[in-house]
Amino acid sequence: MSWTGKLLHIHIAPEASHEMEELKEAELVAGKGIVGDRYYLGLGTYSPKPDCREVTLIEREALDALSRDDPPMQGSSIHVDPSEHRRNLTVEGVPLNHLVGYRFRIGEVILSGGRLNFPCRYLEHLLDRPVFLPLYNRSGLNCWIEQGGIIRPGDAIIPLNEVTDKPHR
Amino acid sequence: MSVRIIMKLFVETREQLDHDVVRIAFRHPTRPQLPIWTPGAHVDVRLGDGKIRQYSLTSDPSDLSRYAIIVKREMDGRGGSDFIHEYFTEGTHVRVSMPRNNFKLAKGRGVLIAGGIGVTPLISMGRALSQSKMLESFHFCSKTSRPSIEGELSQFCGDSLSTYFSNDSDSQRLNVASLIENLSSDLHIYCCGPERLMSEVKYLTSDWNPDQLHFEAFNAPEERSQKAEPFDVTVSSTGETLRVSESQSILDVLRVAGYVIPSSCRQGICGTCECGYTSGEVIHRDSILSPDARQDRIMPCVSRARVSVTLDL
Repeated sequence: MSWTGKLLHIHIAPEASHEMEELKEAELVAGKGIVGDRYYLGLGTYSPKPDCREVTLIEREALDALSRDDPPMQGSSIHVDPSEHRRNLTVEGVPLNHLVGYRFRIGEVILSGGRLNFPCRYLEHLLDRPVFLPLYNRSGLNCWIEQGGIIRPGDAIIPLNEVTDKPHR
Repeated sequence: MSVRIIMKLFVETREQLDHDVVRIAFRHPTRPQLPIWTPGAHVDVRLGDGKIRQYSLTSDPSDLSRYAIIVKREMDGRGGSDFIHEYFTEGTHVRVSMPRNNFKLAKGRGVLIAGGIGVTPLISMGRALSQSKMLESFHFCSKTSRPSIEGELSQFCGDSLSTYFSNDSDSQRLNVASLIENLSSDLHIYCCGPERLMSEVKYLTSDWNPDQLHFEAFNAPEERSQKAEPFDVTVSSTGETLRVSESQSILDVLRVAGYVIPSSCRQGICGTCECGYTSGEVIHRDSILSPDARQDRIMPCVSRARVSVTLDL
């Protein structure tokens, strides 16, 4: 893989269902999550369920597709703001679905793809918008943090082309 | 199901409207505008002791810089209003959900009937009807005079407002039968107040088109005395069948089995846990589903079933 993407936004929420707060920089802790986020604190909706959810990413291009009703399966365009989709990082130019099982770098941090994120009805009800079906197969990526550090919007994202030792599916 | 995002707001102002009634206005610490809402909407307010209570928004929906609620201290209530009166001072941070509306205005002229603190959702609804020249009349019943609330209502009701105070011998009492009898049958009736008042209005309008009748309970109705019986609940997506004992709710049983079901009031009022059902004879015990909705929707926090029910989960 050879590409270079960009980190656009960082969001965390202190507890399940709480509104997301945008950060200008965030500290990622290997094996835990983003400092201050509900999954770092064990307070997320799905925290009781063992899973890969230390940090979650979604493509800006997927949100753009929803807003132009592409493909035309949802009746009309749906605008989802980066503060609403409840993934931690909104990225651009990163083929997330190709990163399951692979390491990649954001600034000084190294992440690896654990599994594709799956859209949930919970999000649909939370937003009161029919996003479940349109997000199918482009709902983002759940990642492990292999090397912690500080990230900021604007950081470059590059593939490391290394297979992770972390569980992935 | 109906979950809502929770915001951390702060108490901007606290205004004592009466010795036992306060108005609390919330603002967002960083955002100049709060999410939009419509007349009749309410928010979930998380109290510091872990309880969640629903309060109607009483401010003007066109002013999104703040949300206001009016809370009467109920000394023999479940503790929510007591907590707010005790601890919600200016500057206090409070978790408040985005608004939801189970009590929407319909198109057409409206008659509003409020009993006691049940007036709160009707304040924004009356204001909106008045602004669109669709307010037929507003009837406010209370044990005692509430000058601050009457003052607020009179600002937009004008001559359309009638007040009735049962502890005041000089005040007339609301004759619900006479009121209903003289209403044109194309009006919409909106009623919120004690169960006794709402039951009377429901009884006297039993021959009306249900689409023109709108009620909101602020206490759970007292019709749950029927003895609970055990039954089976089946989850359609997994095929799993679980037993609900006479002392459990469907919600409790599903959660113990690992299903993620959001809930809030656990009284069949807020609509958070609402879901569909595909078969079974349901004993509805909620306060918000319309007769039509009850054909295939259920509130698993309070409602039960005879023998079995299959949920669309």
